[in-house]
Amino acid sequence: MQRRVLLIGYGNVLRGDDALGPMAVELLRPVLTGHVTDVELLSCHQLAPELSERLAHCELALFVDAANHGEPGTVRVQRLLPEAVDLASLTHHVQPSALLALARELYGRAPEALLVTGAGATFDGRESLSEPGREALREICRLVPQLILDFRAHRDAVAMKE
Amino acid sequence: MPTLTIDPVTRIEGHARITVQLDEQGEVQDARFHVTQVRGFEKLCEGRPFTEMPALMARICGICPTSHLLASSKACDEIMAVRIPETAEKLRRIMNLAQIIQSHALSFFYLSSPDFLLGMDSDPAERNILGVARKHPAMARDGIKLRQFGQRVLETLGGKRIHPGWIVPGGVSQPLEAAQRDQILTEIPEAIRITRATLHWFKSQIESFRAEVRSFANFPSLFLAMANDENQLAAYSGWLRFMDAKLNIVADHITGLDYQNFIGESSNDDSYLKSTYYKPLGLSAGMYRVGPLARLNMCQSLGTTQADEELAEFRELEHHSVLSSFYYHYARLIEVLFSLERMETLLRDPEILGKNVRAHASPNNFEGVGILEAPRGTLIHHYRIDQNGLIESANLVIATGHNNLAINHGVLQVARQFVKGNALEQGMLNRVEAVVRAFDPCLSCSTHAAGQMLLEISLLAADGALLDRLRR
Repeated sequence: MQRRVLLIGYGNVLRGDDALGPMAVELLRPVLTGHVTDVELLSCHQLAPELSERLAHCELALFVDAANHGEPGTVRVQRLLPEAVDLASLTHHVQPSALLALARELYGRAPEALLVTGAGATFDGRESLSEPGREALREICRLVPQLILDFRAHRDAVAMKE
Repeated sequence: MPTLTIDPVTRIEGHARITVQLDEQGEVQDARFHVTQVRGFEKLCEGRPFTEMPALMARICGICPTSHLLASSKACDEIMAVRIPETAEKLRRIMNLAQIIQSHALSFFYLSSPDFLLGMDSDPAERNILGVARKHPAMARDGIKLRQFGQRVLETLGGKRIHPGWIVPGGVSQPLEAAQRDQILTEIPEAIRITRATLHWFKSQIESFRAEVRSFANFPSLFLAMANDENQLAAYSGWLRFMDAKLNIVADHITGLDYQNFIGESSNDDSYLKSTYYKPLGLSAGMYRVGPLARLNMCQSLGTTQADEELAEFRELEHHSVLSSFYYHYARLIEVLFSLERMETLLRDPEILGKNVRAHASPNNFEGVGILEAPRGTLIHHYRIDQNGLIESANLVIATGHNNLAINHGVLQVARQFVKGNALEQGMLNRVEAVVRAFDPCLSCSTHAAGQMLLEISLLAADGALLDRLRR
């Protein structure tokens, strides 16, 4: 049984609120390390096919990204399923659902996965978040540990029933 | 006159469009490759201290930041007039080889292998890396593993995979540790196994791509690459050499500022990508190619055992110079093998763990030129500074710009071969794209383009009316 949670925050740290994902990873690193076991945190500019192998070896994948739609400052969590999304124009980056599909095809399994998005307000060239971006970041940092704990509690409950 | 537009061009780095012009009879009259976005790094670095250039120029591209770091640092070395420590030069060479490995792996496995493995005429919805994963998972895993290896070396040396800041004017910022060296060495044999297996497979497939071999930018042209005294592949240092299609040397020992006497740059109204040409012959006759195909044509040997065996076989393809740009893919794989072997040799050199890795100096020259063989071809950074060390002007001559005339010529050749009538079919569209892909253009690098490159092909009638358009 795989036991690892993989948290991937991605985005461009030089484009305002697009930095939400990588910034969440940096803030969550000390929170999760030592308190929640078996969590691997990863910060990257964009999702690349190479990540599929790491995904195949984890139990839960949490993708944290910025959204340029929705009410700025709000956070949305959605469940992801493996799916071939937007691969026709593929260069070196892929959507999280496509990455899950790649993990399943290449390495035999895709983890459960959640996409946590914070709606940003500005995506222009600067190295700081807008006020709504900061709100979203705070909420993401509150939410992510809880999502991990909920997932584990659910998994353990299922295991006990079995 | 009918015109066909492919917009955006897919599975390349950047954003471009292709238009194909038909005549009254529906035959292809002309075809053009347009790059539709601009970045303008040459302008925005004016007024910055020259020492900032490597870090700034690395931001040009997320695929080949290391190449820009290296060329930029070499230009700054010249401005400082320093000879960098021997260990630093070897470490830079390893970094360049790792960059070639990861970039070539991306081009071959991620961008082009769907064409080879699934077929040029296969369903475009399936013709991508996921389609490859479904039908050829072992090869897809190998591709991922090979690219991961290159990236891990970049990360080990540079501290991070993208935009590492480890290469600096005067050398590198940190020496290599023994444990880091040993870790890389343990991974090289598997990377070589993957490369050899892929080469073996690719060679077995060439026969089924005869039509593409014949028509994918298959024509005589000049070639440009770096050369050295040993006539081996010169990836990091050497001088510039032009050769003709019969591999006669046309111009040689071009160094430093002298490149300006041999390389002209021309702007086009319909593209942000400049076309460079061999100046003595002018724009109309001065087309040349750079990159893996040019480099393998140029050198007498690669200088490593296994890669030289492959080179000998490669040379047999056309019994002399290899002119079809379809063979860029083949050349890339041979260069990966060379890079792995050379990297191993450099890592086994005791000097590689030396602690003296950086020379320090103030500016001693007002101009500096850094030249390097980047994965896609010859890369030139040329800076001029004022007396305070601030950049007065920068000129970047990028591989894709060198290849632009040949890419356009190749698009026309393929369109004439495969585009028929007044409507587009996916197979013809894909072949027009695939000839561009063979050059592995990087438009972020070459136009200094913001955003993402996609592809559009337009088919225009003789009167200019849009007949058809395919977009991805």
